[in-house]
Amino acid sequence: MRHTPATSVPVTLVIDLDEIRSADAGRVGAKMARLGELRARGWRVPDGYAVTARALADPDSPALRDAIAQAHERLRHRTGRVGHGALKVAVRSSAVSEDGDRASFAGQYETYLGIVGIDDVLRYIRKCRASGGAVRALTYRERFGAASRAGTADTGSGDTGSGDTTSDLAVGVLELVDARSAGVVFTLDPVSGDRGTLVIEANWGLGESVVSGQVTPDHWAVDAGTGEIREHRAGAKEKWTVFSPAAGKVTTEPLPPDLAARPCLAEHEVRYLCDRAREIAARAGSPQDIEWAIARDAPFPENVFFLQHRPETSWAQGAAPGTPEKGFDPVQYALRNVFKVPGT
Amino acid sequence: MDQARVVPVDEFVRDELYPGYKQEFGTQPFVAGPVRPFRKGDEKRYWLRDSLHFSEGMVPASIATLDDAQTWGAQLGAEIVGVPPTLGSVNRLAGTHVFIGTLDVDTEWQVQARAARFGQYVTPILGDFGSYWSMRAGELQAGYDHFDNLDLTPLDNNQLWGTLKDAYAFHRRAWFTHFEVMYVLTANYLAFYALAEEIGLEGSQVSAFLSGQQTFYSKTDEELWKLAKRARDLEVQAPLRHAEPVDALAQIDALPNGKTWRAEFDQFLRTYGQRTEETCRVDTPSWIEEPSPALYAIGAFLAKPAGFDFHTARRRASEERDQRIDDARKTLNGDNLQRFNEALASNQAANFAWWNEEHNYLIDRRAAIPIRRATLELGARLAADGTIEQPDDLFFLFKPELYDVMADPAASSATGRWHELTAMIPDRRAYFEHWRERGPELPPMLGTIPDTVPDPIMIEVFGLSGRFLEALRTNTGNAKTEIRGFPAARGTVEGIARVITTVADLHKIEPGDILVCGGTTTEWTPVFGIITACVCDTGGSLTHAAIVSREYGIPCVVGTAIATQTVKTGDRVRVDGRAGIVTVLR
Repeated sequence: MRHTPATSVPVTLVIDLDEIRSADAGRVGAKMARLGELRARGWRVPDGYAVTARALADPDSPALRDAIAQAHERLRHRTGRVGHGALKVAVRSSAVSEDGDRASFAGQYETYLGIVGIDDVLRYIRKCRASGGAVRALTYRERFGAASRAGTADTGSGDTGSGDTTSDLAVGVLELVDARSAGVVFTLDPVSGDRGTLVIEANWGLGESVVSGQVTPDHWAVDAGTGEIREHRAGAKEKWTVFSPAAGKVTTEPLPPDLAARPCLAEHEVRYLCDRAREIAARAGSPQDIEWAIARDAPFPENVFFLQHRPETSWAQGAAPGTPEKGFDPVQYALRNVFKVPGT
Repeated sequence: MDQARVVPVDEFVRDELYPGYKQEFGTQPFVAGPVRPFRKGDEKRYWLRDSLHFSEGMVPASIATLDDAQTWGAQLGAEIVGVPPTLGSVNRLAGTHVFIGTLDVDTEWQVQARAARFGQYVTPILGDFGSYWSMRAGELQAGYDHFDNLDLTPLDNNQLWGTLKDAYAFHRRAWFTHFEVMYVLTANYLAFYALAEEIGLEGSQVSAFLSGQQTFYSKTDEELWKLAKRARDLEVQAPLRHAEPVDALAQIDALPNGKTWRAEFDQFLRTYGQRTEETCRVDTPSWIEEPSPALYAIGAFLAKPAGFDFHTARRRASEERDQRIDDARKTLNGDNLQRFNEALASNQAANFAWWNEEHNYLIDRRAAIPIRRATLELGARLAADGTIEQPDDLFFLFKPELYDVMADPAASSATGRWHELTAMIPDRRAYFEHWRERGPELPPMLGTIPDTVPDPIMIEVFGLSGRFLEALRTNTGNAKTEIRGFPAARGTVEGIARVITTVADLHKIEPGDILVCGGTTTEWTPVFGIITACVCDTGGSLTHAAIVSREYGIPCVVGTAIATQTVKTGDRVRVDGRAGIVTVLR
């Protein structure tokens, strides 16, 4: 269902996650587009919706407010959070341009976890959107010069783009997974670039403590060919990120020592995560890094959720992200140098 | 193409593939071009004799397997992968001997359309080749588990006929897989090759960077050496060294420890014996049926009492590989180093040099065995009821002929169709024998020898480099003392040449010989443990001889075009594997 107000210029404001496919990256950003595609193809992804970049060009419009409120209500019904405890969500930016996507994934844009109630959801969507400008300006000046790439947003709606730089950002709202353990799986070794190795980094609680680098996480290296766990290093894990019912929000706190002493994943969970990660990477066509969470309130494997994924570039791109021509793409070389296809 | 030399096809031009058999449209599953005899018009293109895969010629039943493999399989693979410049390979027969040519994509729109889908197909596979290959290999293994464990004797004729059809379907599927994977991996390899050239390395080094991974065949060789050592320990070596293989087993059985060694040998065959000596040839037995090739190899190894130290050879080969990689890295920095590392990682994960050897066990040398078994069982029943004279008569019927009569056996007998077919079998046997004898004298190339060949796969796998083509054009048959080829494995050695033109003569090779041959395949691998150097007419950086020579640490020159015509057995020759030069000292 696409919710479009009856105006002379139809602009898609909000799209439910189940409606989102990879082709929607132009309006909901790459992160949400990949998640929608992933969910459509049967991987477990938390339910949610996206506010389009074009809609956020006018973040205070009553029409947008209504559309978000309706989408949030639909999500509450779909997730069964009507009269059974509050719906907690994560509000995350989802950049439309490739460079914004990179900065976004790297955590340079804000992510707000454990948001409850439509008023706060609206507030944090606006905060997310506001966080975009500063980071964008910085990364663009560094890499491409200030004037480049404006107005790439929302090509999907037929809008030609306003030139408003903030329209680079869409926002995703996803049900928060009440995570027992969470972290990242890389389908290649992010240090050596070895594609024969998968690496998992994980901690108890939400993945925030791992992604933001606040702890030394548990580490597993897994052989991509045999699936055998080649190495496990226990992390120090001094802290964890959890939803604190007392504070009514997500906080990072000291991790109880009994948990810190234990690995946060069982071996079968490590193997399951690696198997699914390889499938995701195979479908994506390149090595991926993938955020995941294991919910505390469901049986395995129904409790394993994938929160986002993107091409793993920290190794492949080295110090110069955003310039794929500096890397080795076998297809590009085969077409251009070997088969000598004109125009490649 | 002013230098082009035309090798006339006239003497091979035919309407019929064999006496009494003319192909009709629809009897073959071709995508772009069918197998057929030469026509005069074929002379405008080049045709390379493929003695690498099929040295002795094809019986009629093997035409169907050839068609599924190098013709249809290659064309479907090229089509589905979307290889931009080529529609795949295509075959012609001179008598019963296979020549291979390529079909170029000759319009710009098709090249662009194929290029667009090529990336879509190849990228996900190269992104996770390990999973992809285990899926494909698993599918093939499941097929073998079915066919190998199938007891054919209790099946009624109709069920047996069904099994033969299943075996053909499986064979065809195996060959599509072959070319699908081959094109994807070749692209990865050639991309690395192109990158290497771009950043100032020699592309031809790339295959050396990728060497050293164990294959099913290197394991087979190691097992054969172990069996040789066991034969010495158990004192059963004499029959293996001196008796004909056909007699050797009976003589071994009579020795005190003979049964022990036989049990170990049979155990070996159960794992490693599901292989034939050539590709697609349903008339050739597997090692399990006829273990002579394994016995020859063990006998040859026994002639080299010091044995062969696989551990040391492998370690040296890995060290040399790593040294070469390090040397290459020292010349690079910044983006070039990064690209090199990425390309190396991509090719180590999806390694054509490894797969090119490994896949033979699952496809080339094995895929036709289920067809052979079912055909022989059917043949035995038809011989028993007098329809044909002997079980292998069925190898002299074309698949469409057999399908035709088996569709309604009773009617086929009643109408005399069976009789019509069986009447042709003696002529066809004679035809096969006639051409088998003529095999060694056939030219290495027919039609128009070009200056260059655009298909990179033909260059790297079959060795059709510019130098190779020039050697063919300028070969006047006069005695030469220096032959140039592709430097495939380093080292310089002098010794006595042994010229071998067919796999059936492998047993003539003695320890210390310098092997001179058309090209080598998997069956030749054991001899690399006893020869001191290898020289081939065909081949590029990716051919079997190049890869295996590096593993065994002996000098090797491939793609000479004319070595077997120039060098004679008994000549004293010097092989310089670094320069790619073979000198005849006489």
